[in-house]
Amino acid sequence: MGDFVLAHGLQYLTYAAEVCVGLLLVRRATWRRLKGLCLYVAVLFLLDGVARPAVLNYFGLDSPTFKSFYWLTDVVLALGAFLLICSFFRRACAQEEKLWRFVRLLLLFVFILVLVISAVYILRNPNHNEAGGFTAEIGQNLFFTGLVLNTLLYVMIQQFAIEDDELALLVGGIGIQFAGEAALLALCNLLPAKSPFTDALSTFLPPICTLGMLLTWAYAISKTPQEVPVRLQPGRGASLAEAIADS
Amino acid sequence: MFMAALILMLSTGLFFFYLQAVCQKVLRRRFAQQFSQAIVNANSLEFPSVRKALGEFGVPVEYPRLMMTLKCDFLALTYLLKNAANVNQRYTYEERLLIVYFKLVFVSLVTRHWLRLRETPAALKLTAILEYFANVVGERVNTVRFGNLTASDYLLNL
Repeated sequence: MGDFVLAHGLQYLTYAAEVCVGLLLVRRATWRRLKGLCLYVAVLFLLDGVARPAVLNYFGLDSPTFKSFYWLTDVVLALGAFLLICSFFRRACAQEEKLWRFVRLLLLFVFILVLVISAVYILRNPNHNEAGGFTAEIGQNLFFTGLVLNTLLYVMIQQFAIEDDELALLVGGIGIQFAGEAALLALCNLLPAKSPFTDALSTFLPPICTLGMLLTWAYAISKTPQEVPVRLQPGRGASLAEAIADS
Repeated sequence: MFMAALILMLSTGLFFFYLQAVCQKVLRRRFAQQFSQAIVNANSLEFPSVRKALGEFGVPVEYPRLMMTLKCDFLALTYLLKNAANVNQRYTYEERLLIVYFKLVFVSLVTRHWLRLRETPAALKLTAILEYFANVVGERVNTVRFGNLTASDYLLNL
């Protein structure tokens, strides 16, 4: 009973955090700068907080429809996270156009590679990941690729000394989510399938990781200093320059 | 089996690495001014002298004294964080995160001492966290006024 309440409490806390981050993005008008993040949070809430519970209530936990829907939304979320990381790469390479051209090609190559590897793996092992088939396989592969790319991005930010605390925090947030869940998947592979420990971890760790990511993002959006864009009216530039020169 | 174990080790390491990175970013927050000094003076906190001795002069500090100093300053500052000029009398999320981070680094300091490794980096991290706490308390206290005095002036004049 206690576990049930705790699990549901964590789940609803995650939904609340998704809404709060969305509201924070809109209220602080950060969504103009962080369109990718805004879109991802909206998709995350719509799929994880609205669509999945609705399908679960309508079809039931053991129905094939729910399983297919779950794996399909899993792929959409993994793909969304992959695109979000791509947008962070773009922001990190904002001053380095040449580097961005190279990174863009690399990201495209990695994506195609993930598709090919998933397809080949499923063709060779048709019974693997029976519940979700190709969608489950590609979802997991995209997930691990996202973790590796996110780590590369964090290393790149440190290596090039990019002074963007907001970006570093956003990347750190994704890292917490991805690394936590990757560790869980690996642990589930190592432990017996139906052990109570695995069940408890599978219930509590994913919402905790998502909560960690969302709280880190909320902190990044609300606390890091922002650059305020200044738009000069025509003809005002000269007087501003004079005023600066006089001072 | 081998791959799963490898992924488990790597991703667990990355999880803690990202947690530490987020904590370090929180600690880098810039305050409008150096609020910590007033709090340090008012409460006779010792962590600035520890940091000076370790970071600037490279003088070794006696281990039991170092532990006692950091622990006492931590207790004093966490009490102030919760109770000084804090209407809700609750820690914020980032304060909770940093309290957990302090405890983890403290454990790492003890482990380093047992293993006879260099303790200075961990001790300096702990003083950085304490300075952040002192700055937060100072910033909060600075917003409260007692007559013509700010709270930090009030504390200093006690």
